[in-house]
Amino acid sequence: MNILILNGAPANRRGATVRAIVRTITDEAQAKGWTTAAFDLDGLDIKPCPGCFSCWLKHPGICAIKDDEEPILRAYSSTDVIVWTTPVTFGGYGPTLKKALDRSIPNLLPFFIKTGGEIHHPQRYPRRRSFLVFGTLDAPDSDAEQTFHRLVKRNALNLNTVMTASRVFVEGSASTEWSGTVRELLTAAKEAL
Amino acid sequence: MNAQMIETTNPRKALLLIGSPKGKAGTSYAVGGALLRKLAAAGLETEEMTVSPALAEAENMDRFGEAVDAADLIIFSFPLYVDQLPAPLLRALEFIAGRRDASGRASQPTRPSVQKVAAIVQCGFPETHQNQPAVDIMRTFAAEAGFHWAGALAMGMGGAIGKQPLEKAAGMLRNVVKALDLAAASLASGGDISEEASALFGKPLMPKSFYMLVANFGMKSRARKHGVGKRAYDRPYAS
Repeated sequence: MNILILNGAPANRRGATVRAIVRTITDEAQAKGWTTAAFDLDGLDIKPCPGCFSCWLKHPGICAIKDDEEPILRAYSSTDVIVWTTPVTFGGYGPTLKKALDRSIPNLLPFFIKTGGEIHHPQRYPRRRSFLVFGTLDAPDSDAEQTFHRLVKRNALNLNTVMTASRVFVEGSASTEWSGTVRELLTAAKEAL
Repeated sequence: MNAQMIETTNPRKALLLIGSPKGKAGTSYAVGGALLRKLAAAGLETEEMTVSPALAEAENMDRFGEAVDAADLIIFSFPLYVDQLPAPLLRALEFIAGRRDASGRASQPTRPSVQKVAAIVQCGFPETHQNQPAVDIMRTFAAEAGFHWAGALAMGMGGAIGKQPLEKAAGMLRNVVKALDLAAASLASGGDISEEASALFGKPLMPKSFYMLVANFGMKSRARKHGVGKRAYDRPYAS
């Protein structure tokens, strides 16, 4: 099983628990013999998407910008499980994770199809994929958490995933508060494939 | 959508922040600029800035922060990117919120009115509801950063608007124009964006099946024009 981890932890205090979650995932993957491609996005040079659509109309599947996004796009094409981690930011993802997601458009086809009663873009690399998203908040905030979970569900529709789960943990909490959940969801993600 | 009225004086200055990487060449400005011009016609002082260049240099960031501080009404207009705000706009929100935590509110203890935040969001998908997470994120930002949330205008089929000036638009855009008129009148008099304006703005511009047909045909034509044709389905990273 291939796992793609996009780690949106910023280098500051807000990223501490997110980084610890990523370590738990990579440790678990190693123990189970799964392959991981983990990208610590904060240190990567990923420029903003200019919305040029060259990746659809000029050189399909390849972004016009040459920077650190390219290996992420390549890894996505063959991944079985997508994992995103981020501090919850105004109920959504932080800009560190989002800069990589904005540049993921080459992995979609430009055309519209109807899925589940809604219009979406088909995947360029059709594959059964599971999708896990882990967020952290400085303190419990049900409104922000609900927004976060709704956002993940919308992403799942666009990614056409076979299994989706999102969890929000409190920044600074002991690993015993979340590590079991993270491991259980990884196993569930594998079983869904 | 929040249609609540609060005790404020009428806003004197409105700031439009364009969250599209295309700046003034995109749909976000076509719609946001039209709303701003209506506010100017109602007597407000107005200013507009594009977010990406504003955050590119420290000097520009200072200017950006000052413009936010000076505005009674801040309107964010942006396209939906991967179900929410484009990354540079998220960075701008963090910058604004951090600045207000540090000194923003304390530096202006005599500000007579509550600062308001409103949002305009549009996407290329036909369904307006696909914008909802972005609207929720803007509302959460307003609450966390101490702004009054004045509501949002959200629409699907944004690609059908393009760059055209909306002042004299009719036909399929009549509801968009009417919604902007309603929103401008309410915001200029100290109110919020009404549910009526939001509902009008979010009405489909055309039947979903027709939009899908036109959008797919347009995309295939553009791909052919670039000599791509069937290569549109290429999988360059397939192993």
